[in-house]
Amino acid sequence: MTASTVAVAPPRGLLSEVQPRKVLMWGLVGGIAAVFISAIGMLEIFDRRKIIDPFLNLGYAVLLWIPLYLGYSSSKRPVLEGIEPPRPGAHNVVAGAVTGALSGLITGTFLVIADLVNLRGILINLTPRTLELLGPGEEPVTGALILIAAAAVVGTLGGALHLLPPRYLSALWTGMLWVFLVAFLELLIGNVLRQVGLIGVDGLIYQPSRGLTPVAALLVFAGAIAFKLTLATRASQVFSRFEEIPDTGRRRIMLGLALLLLALGSYLPSLLGTLLNELLSNVGLFILLALGLNIVVGYAGLLDLGYVAFFAVGAYTTAILTSPRSPKITPELAFFEALPWVLLMAAIAGLIIGTPVIRMRGDYLAIVTLGFGEIARLLFLSDWLDNVFGAAQGILGISPLGTSGSGIRVNFGYVVAAAGIIVLIVGFLRWREAGRIERAEADPIPGVSYSTGPGMAMMVGGIAAIAGGLAFPTFLTWTVIGINPPSMFRIILVFVAIAAFVSWRLEGSRVGRAWMAVREDEQVAQTMGVNTVTNKLLAFVMGAMLASFGGALFAVKLGTIFPHSFEIVQSIIILVVVIVGGMGSLRGVALGAVVLIGILGGPTQPGLLREFGEFKLLLYGAILVWMMLQRPEGLLPSARRARELHEEEEFQDAWLQPRAAAPAESGGGQ
Amino acid sequence: MTALLEVRELTKRFGGLSALGGVDFHIDQGEIVSLIGPNGAGKTTFFNLVSGMYPPDQGEVRFWDEEIGGLSADQITKLGIARTFQNVRLFPNMTVLENVMVAQHCRTNRGVLAALFRTPAFVREEAEIRERAKETLAFFGTRLVGYRFEQHASSLSYANRRRLEIARAVATQPDLLLLDEPTAGMNPRETQELTELIAKLRDDQGFTIVVIEHDMRVVRDVSDRVVVLDHGVTIAQGSYEVVSQDEGVIEAYLGRPTTGERPAESPAGI
Repeated sequence: MTASTVAVAPPRGLLSEVQPRKVLMWGLVGGIAAVFISAIGMLEIFDRRKIIDPFLNLGYAVLLWIPLYLGYSSSKRPVLEGIEPPRPGAHNVVAGAVTGALSGLITGTFLVIADLVNLRGILINLTPRTLELLGPGEEPVTGALILIAAAAVVGTLGGALHLLPPRYLSALWTGMLWVFLVAFLELLIGNVLRQVGLIGVDGLIYQPSRGLTPVAALLVFAGAIAFKLTLATRASQVFSRFEEIPDTGRRRIMLGLALLLLALGSYLPSLLGTLLNELLSNVGLFILLALGLNIVVGYAGLLDLGYVAFFAVGAYTTAILTSPRSPKITPELAFFEALPWVLLMAAIAGLIIGTPVIRMRGDYLAIVTLGFGEIARLLFLSDWLDNVFGAAQGILGISPLGTSGSGIRVNFGYVVAAAGIIVLIVGFLRWREAGRIERAEADPIPGVSYSTGPGMAMMVGGIAAIAGGLAFPTFLTWTVIGINPPSMFRIILVFVAIAAFVSWRLEGSRVGRAWMAVREDEQVAQTMGVNTVTNKLLAFVMGAMLASFGGALFAVKLGTIFPHSFEIVQSIIILVVVIVGGMGSLRGVALGAVVLIGILGGPTQPGLLREFGEFKLLLYGAILVWMMLQRPEGLLPSARRARELHEEEEFQDAWLQPRAAAPAESGGGQ
Repeated sequence: MTALLEVRELTKRFGGLSALGGVDFHIDQGEIVSLIGPNGAGKTTFFNLVSGMYPPDQGEVRFWDEEIGGLSADQITKLGIARTFQNVRLFPNMTVLENVMVAQHCRTNRGVLAALFRTPAFVREEAEIRERAKETLAFFGTRLVGYRFEQHASSLSYANRRRLEIARAVATQPDLLLLDEPTAGMNPRETQELTELIAKLRDDQGFTIVVIEHDMRVVRDVSDRVVVLDHGVTIAQGSYEVVSQDEGVIEAYLGRPTTGERPAESPAGI
């Protein structure tokens, strides 16, 4: 008897599977969301961004997305092991249709009310144009009816998505995602196509309004679906085979890929225009900052909300040391002469802020760091210190390069010499170690072989590099100019590479393991012999130093700095980048910065979609909420972090598993 | 024999509650001592004080004839005392190997710069840490080796978690090992195995061991000496046979009979 209930659910009425409360709730949510985006003027502004010209623009896409997604959600059941979900069928479609119609009804009612009563006194963004868009050009009542009908149809489609096999459904989502992506990236793709001389192709893909042509949209959609259905499984096979490669081999491949990416990245600016290069440097700057914060939050688990303080310390130290127009102290150093002092100041700031707060945990730490972040900004702003920091006027004329404004002159001779010093030291250490092993003073290291030859060669090479570099310091020079985005982007890329390298090496070291242990359980880490105070301080200082790199480059990029650039929202945005990308994952953090800063834009910088500008913080919030509900581990999480966050769900499902096994056996017996 | 750990007048109060009220005893080098007592007797508090998780209110804790009361937990671990926890507290999202590797933190010292440039000393130390972690885990037979190295601690079975916790404590290279209910929640066969393992830890590796244990068969099989705590004071100590006949101990466990005579024989299990 138990078997029959599981194997074949008894036929029930069509509507008995519809969950009225869920439908009602999602319908209301949909209606309120649609009214909200109309009332704040989002619809009108998004209307300017064309997706598929002339069929779809971003405004309607957002408006229609609501009934589609909610129509789908309203009959979605949580997948529980051991409980047979109802078969997809007409009930999904009905639920979707009702949800859609309900949300349309609310929006339509709003349209009619807005026409009868003048709401603009309260909702100043509710322009006549918005109302015209809502009821597509018709009389309010007719428009409302159209709205209801359209929402019901889209909701029905959303519900009907359940009838598709999961494989096709995910292909469909992928197809839609790609259409939007290609439409959003019009500036980037257009730029690249123009530079490589394929302006004709650009004309085929995009209309003059920069929306996709219907044919191009269809091709992208079909192509993405075809790829998802045929090649995606093979791609994931390749990926899983890659995962099986032993650690050392995989690391080598990853390093190769990173170098390739770096080479491509440094070539990219020559393909793009000024606007996109500016955008890229902002993205790079945020990757740099996020990598630093990732050490503090992602590795060591210390929630630091005042991170912008270190960014400010880096920027102000650079400004004071390099600018001839800094109020009091004017050593007028070159950028690279100032850099060691910048690092030192950041480390000191890290210690000063870190020492008192490091004994706190969790929420308390977050609040106290938030306070310190504000204190730092207020110190830079204060009249008390205006003869050092210039108060509200800030500091002008940072790192000047004659007539071309702020910039950095890189003399490769010195770069070669600096690299030579490192090679010399490492070479010497290897040579010494190899000598010891040869003389049997030390045991050979398993899995590693040092011999005196390469060590000696490294030493000779290092000395040669130092001598050569110092003898011809200017044999090759590169001038980075702050207001010239391509050069700025390239130097930011160099620093991003350094930051990524530092993070990567530390993650797999003794220090990285200690941070991990502190994050997992601080008390136990201490009992296992980890000095939590010094290790947490170290994480703070490392994060501060990477942030100060960001600050130094930021100061040069703008040429002037004001306390206004270091507001609390900067800290929050950097944190959001880390969270959305995936805490503890280098790839994730980089992707987070590209998606958030690149497409939405930074706190003061515009993104690829300028229409988002006004609603940036709203969208940041919405993305954050969605992420916390659907994917708390971030876009590209580190495997460890993902498990940490889904652990509880696994525990919750664990009790179901014995029950799941039992009916399966009895069913098989029949 | 020299006393490895000597505790005098050790006192700890939590608000008005006196968790430990002047405990005196010593542990000699190479001994296995069982610490028993009813729930709430102060056994785990004693461990917490010795391992430095709380500072003692009064009294002294001398280790290798050196006062350690009030030092921080990592300093004490460095001096050579390691512990496990009653409610297993591993680093759940680190791999088995990483759990044991991180425990060698206080025995190693390469810092940030060495890690950045992969100096030979760093490479050597990493290899040694890894090697020593594998050796430590191999002590527990085949249960925690091979593919288990890369498994996450959260995916281990309960008994294996307990074993890993002991391995992690051993990896700090202590002189004194404090095991807080190592067999709790294990089945009889696993308990038997672990009992033998504790003896082996002393015989092969030379650790001095203090065990908090509720299973009296384990206590009988493993301990050289038994110390009984009740209400924060030692009420008896000596060999298992002596302690199990002690009237004060029986009373502490079973309570004073209200009527009639006390049971002539000690009840099973004590």
